[in-house]
Amino acid sequence: MTHDVSVDDEMAKHLLQEMLRIKIFEEETKARYEEGEIPGFVHLDRGHEGSHAGMAAAMRDDDWLAVGGARLVGQYIVKGVPLGEIMAELYGRTGGSNKGHGGQMHVSKVDRKLYGHAATIGSGQNPAVGLALAEEMKGTDNVAVTTIGDGGTSRGSFHTALIFAAYWDLPVVFIIENNGWAISTPSESLPPDRLSDYGDPVNIPTESIDGSDVETVYHTVSEAIDRARDGGGPTVIESRVARLNPHFEGDKETYRDEEELERALEEKDPVKNYRERVLEAGVVSESEIEDIIDTIEREVQEAVEYARESPDPEPEAAYEHVYKTPLYGQGEQE
Amino acid sequence: MTREITYIEAVAEAIDEEMDRDDDVILFGEDVEDFGGNFGETAGLHEKYDDDRVRNTPLAEIGIAGMALGAAVGGIRPVAELQFADFAATAGDEIFNQIPKQPYVSGGSLEVPLTIFAPSGAGIGAGAQHSQSVHSWLGNVPGWVVVTATTPYDAKGLLKSAIRDDNPVFYLPHKALVETQGEVPDEEYTLPLGEAVVEEEGEDVTVVATQVMFHRAKEAAADLDVNVELINPRTFAPLDTETIAESVEKTGRLVVVDETVERYGTQSHIANEIVENHFFSFDAPPKTIGVKDVPIPVSPTLETEVIPGTERIKAGIESVF
Repeated sequence: MTHDVSVDDEMAKHLLQEMLRIKIFEEETKARYEEGEIPGFVHLDRGHEGSHAGMAAAMRDDDWLAVGGARLVGQYIVKGVPLGEIMAELYGRTGGSNKGHGGQMHVSKVDRKLYGHAATIGSGQNPAVGLALAEEMKGTDNVAVTTIGDGGTSRGSFHTALIFAAYWDLPVVFIIENNGWAISTPSESLPPDRLSDYGDPVNIPTESIDGSDVETVYHTVSEAIDRARDGGGPTVIESRVARLNPHFEGDKETYRDEEELERALEEKDPVKNYRERVLEAGVVSESEIEDIIDTIEREVQEAVEYARESPDPEPEAAYEHVYKTPLYGQGEQE
Repeated sequence: MTREITYIEAVAEAIDEEMDRDDDVILFGEDVEDFGGNFGETAGLHEKYDDDRVRNTPLAEIGIAGMALGAAVGGIRPVAELQFADFAATAGDEIFNQIPKQPYVSGGSLEVPLTIFAPSGAGIGAGAQHSQSVHSWLGNVPGWVVVTATTPYDAKGLLKSAIRDDNPVFYLPHKALVETQGEVPDEEYTLPLGEAVVEEEGEDVTVVATQVMFHRAKEAAADLDVNVELINPRTFAPLDTETIAESVEKTGRLVVVDETVERYGTQSHIANEIVENHFFSFDAPPKTIGVKDVPIPVSPTLETEVIPGTERIKAGIESVF
């Protein structure tokens, strides 16, 4: 199944490159996790690469991204967090974006306008509304994009955020990455036909798109961002993707139908599909793609080396960053 | 020079002066516009600062607290009002998991300079879900600066500092104190966060109390033939244990009175801090006094029963001699 390429050659190459960066980084993450180098647990993004890359390509650097769902690392990558800082954070090292205090679920980087994830799932949308409010108060035309999984849309906090964004017409783009599964609960069993329908009762424009098609995501999110930037208020987008890996590494997926998964792997792999598409359209050659892959593999190896060499935090660092001290007025004479 | 104003006037002045001083300070919550807040704390502000900086919100504390978090990270200084401190529970994830933890998990890169304004405390017959003192809930979550106000002087000076502080501050005025009067300087001032104050010096026993309990402890002390050193912690978290410890080293006796529930309450935490680190300063075991381990009932008779009164505090002070 191929389509014409609907973006210029430079953008097409960029989208492919970003998706490959996610894929290769995560293949290495999986290997490092299996070797026991990465603590905790990891959730991989396979199937979401197109949604992440298309979304970020529609954003300006000064737009906020408040990440949600469980497929996070790809979002950190497309928002421009250096790969070494992400990998070192997965390792829990001092060279990580969060100095080892956050880990895989909490990478944040204010200078890239990446807001930290609400790992309780579904609590990141009201902060995104606040980020949009801050931009509006400061008189910029920057927007806030926020992602959430299908599971998180059942949280009341998600619906409250829609109400608050609509109440003041704030520049927020809500993207629901519906990958079909909240761990083992199928999104098909949720009440709405399309999860973007949750925008209807609060009069927010909605779209439901094939999120495994990177160009569709790019165009749809661009349109929503343009509207938000022009004062047209929020949008809710359902980006339908396939979850091509288990919820977390180690999940045996006993609840999934094997044939359905095989079919998804065959049909809904955004990276494979887009690679074929740009090749067929003559936008890039096989050898150019090989060069891109070589470059990314080198970057990823450098990221792993950086993480390995980055020191563990000193135990005392556990007590840092609880408060910014001194507190206001503390230590001064009254 | 000073003048006498009410506690709630002091609160209103603090918000007004900080909004006037810093354009990044904004105020939002339920009924903060022309209604003026449940206690009159935001009266006149909407007219003065317009729709952008003073905003009524839909009825959802999740949105109020969550939006405040994002707005603060985005570089402005929200004062977000919860109509009653009890409602912190309705925004549980925002208040217990998100706001106090985002600066820490980010390794210090996300800053959250917000103030939650949440009237607390019993004494107006408001029942189990509008009368609680919740600083023990919040004190249990590292990351919050937890501040209470005892007098108009405290109410104004501490709120101004809360708004200027770069941490998330949970500021708890007490509902039963809103009409109380007190001396407040004519000129601008702030009070330090994180520092307790010795309000009255004494030699025989240290009594730690805040808000309504402070005023009752003062009454109790006046009725007793002992010389009480009265300490107002002002900030419950992080707690200034040093000031309390220094006092106990002098007096050898400690009574902690607070309007949080006794079970797992602030009283036992404060007493423990001093006992564990300064055991040999004590001439008698410490005494803790708080709300009885029940939800707060409406009937004035029942409410009076469970909230520490002057007589209970007097008996508590006498018990350490």
